[in-house]
Amino acid sequence: MQVGVGVLFLLLTIAWTGVLWWVATRSGQAVPYERVSAVVSRVRRAGAPLVVALLAIAFLVSLLFLPYASSRAQRLGEPAVTVDVTGRMWAWELSQTTIPRGQVVEFRVTAVDVNHGFGIYAPDGRIVTQVQAMPGYTNRLLFRFDQPGVYTIRCLEFCATGHHLMQAQFTVQ
Amino acid sequence: MAGNARNDVAARRSVEQAALAYMVTGFAIFLVMGLLGLLMRLQHAGWIDLGPRWFYRIMTLHGAGMVAGVLLASLGGVSQVIAARIRLSPRLLWSAYVVYFLGSGLVVLATLVGGFAAGWTTTYPLPVRGDWPVSATWAFLLGYTLVAVAFLLWCFAVLVGARRVFGGLTNALAWPVLFRRPVGGEQPIPTGPELAATVVAIDGVIAVLAGVIYLVPIFAQLLGLVSGFDVLFAKNMLFLFGHTLVNLNIYLAVALVYATLGAYTGRAFKMNFPVALAFNLVIVLVLLPYFHHLYQDFAQPLALHLVGQFGSYAVGVPAFFVTIVGSLGLLYGSRVRWSAPVIFILAGLWGWTVGGMAAVIDGTIAINNVMHNTLWVPAHFHSYYLFGAAGYTWAYLFHRLSGVEGWASSVLARRLAWSYAIGAGGFVLAFFLSGLQSVPRRFAVHLPEWQGLAQVAVPFVLLLVIAFGGLLLMALRSVPAAWRLPVAEPTGDD
Repeated sequence: MQVGVGVLFLLLTIAWTGVLWWVATRSGQAVPYERVSAVVSRVRRAGAPLVVALLAIAFLVSLLFLPYASSRAQRLGEPAVTVDVTGRMWAWELSQTTIPRGQVVEFRVTAVDVNHGFGIYAPDGRIVTQVQAMPGYTNRLLFRFDQPGVYTIRCLEFCATGHHLMQAQFTVQ
Repeated sequence: MAGNARNDVAARRSVEQAALAYMVTGFAIFLVMGLLGLLMRLQHAGWIDLGPRWFYRIMTLHGAGMVAGVLLASLGGVSQVIAARIRLSPRLLWSAYVVYFLGSGLVVLATLVGGFAAGWTTTYPLPVRGDWPVSATWAFLLGYTLVAVAFLLWCFAVLVGARRVFGGLTNALAWPVLFRRPVGGEQPIPTGPELAATVVAIDGVIAVLAGVIYLVPIFAQLLGLVSGFDVLFAKNMLFLFGHTLVNLNIYLAVALVYATLGAYTGRAFKMNFPVALAFNLVIVLVLLPYFHHLYQDFAQPLALHLVGQFGSYAVGVPAFFVTIVGSLGLLYGSRVRWSAPVIFILAGLWGWTVGGMAAVIDGTIAINNVMHNTLWVPAHFHSYYLFGAAGYTWAYLFHRLSGVEGWASSVLARRLAWSYAIGAGGFVLAFFLSGLQSVPRRFAVHLPEWQGLAQVAVPFVLLLVIAFGGLLLMALRSVPAAWRLPVAEPTGDD
């Protein structure tokens, strides 16, 4: 996911930088504003519907990949394993720390004091999914781990002095 | 009659002096908070060790102070620009300044002396559960309350003034232009900055109301009147307040682009249908994206998540096609004078858009699931804040102090402005790459494999320090003259 985001962002940034460069290097010329104004109007009339259409398509496609429990259950299947997770300042408690590879796992995540963020880092150091741990609520996070190894849980919601120390690990095998 | 005229001149002069005080004070706060940011990046680079307690205190003050400083400056800038027709009360402006200053002072005391370190967002219940004295929580939240009160005073002053000048709120919102109906009597049509100020004032009242709903139960809990309240509801109110406030700051800064760019291009933003439509849409759209802060709160109803994604996608469209495309139209073929304010605005058009694109990407729920609360988030808000909200405001400040022909057009000022653009660009790029690397935000200690990009960022931050330090020295020399003889408002707007 992060690679795709990076490529998309890079392409958009390069394109936008090119547009600004093109305008800036032509700002020293003298062009009647009436002509420029007409072009600006055309850009608005043609560009706005185009951008709105692209965003609408992106919006609809993205709905297929929602991270919420019901959406993931449809894509991955119903969970075979359940792990209870509790966050507190500044530690994670997991009902089990060994998770079977290739099976859908349901994390039932809550917190007892303040908001925490239950972020799961793969062995290669990238986040694979996350959910908030909230006092008074239990959030259901479904995920299937296809890569074996040691996964690290880091708190991704700031929770004061020990925030960066709030970690735990589980093994996928 | 002569007495009234003298009073009017004195009042106008006082408003312009208050506006200048807002801008210069805001600029000073911005610089100090920027130095705190440098400390944080040095810590991330592994080159200094502040310890987690001081890091999180500094982080809290940096966030709160940056928002307060830039907002104060842009309020001052817009006050100056709209003062010609929307006569703001000088007494009210100065009162708001004092209240704002007291509030900011409490925030400084709460963090640096009291040890308050809940982050600038102070997400409930952390403010009442943190490992700092309860007095620090009181000071911080009372400080926020005072700043919000000062902002509310400004909003009311604008709404009352706009209603008086334009003969009603609908006229102030340019509805005659929007619905193509004639304006009655002698009522004028609002300019871009006047319309932007009215929109900000309306949404500002809503945002502050949400802030009150957030803060009152916390005060009740601190007083022992309640034992606690719902964390999800609290988070909704918090971000309706905080996210909206920060976004409104950008629309204030947009008003300053309208007021600056025309002076250097000889062209003017015209009030027309697209402008009126865009800003009226913004009134609603700017209230919706805050839900993206809660995507990972799975307990939130799905419909609200989807509203958040819709708002995150939609809010940038009017701003892009009206302000950004319009600004490029002003620049193209204009024989523009590449003065420091114009360079700041060009850089702002780049960074605001890049930050906006990054926000749209992260505003997609599926992507947010792996990007939320990584350094991608500060990357995008630093982009549109440092380049957009702050950059546009400093463009106007330098224009206000220098004029078209003054020091801001010198070779040194232009080089410093380009240094700012390069420094800011490298600084935010390192943040973006760290976000792609999944580096968490708000971590006092970074793993060795995360430190490299922070080490890359530090020289760019130092370039920012040099650029702003130099521009500060150049700008300060103009302040006494601007104070004694307030200039007429820039003529860049229609």
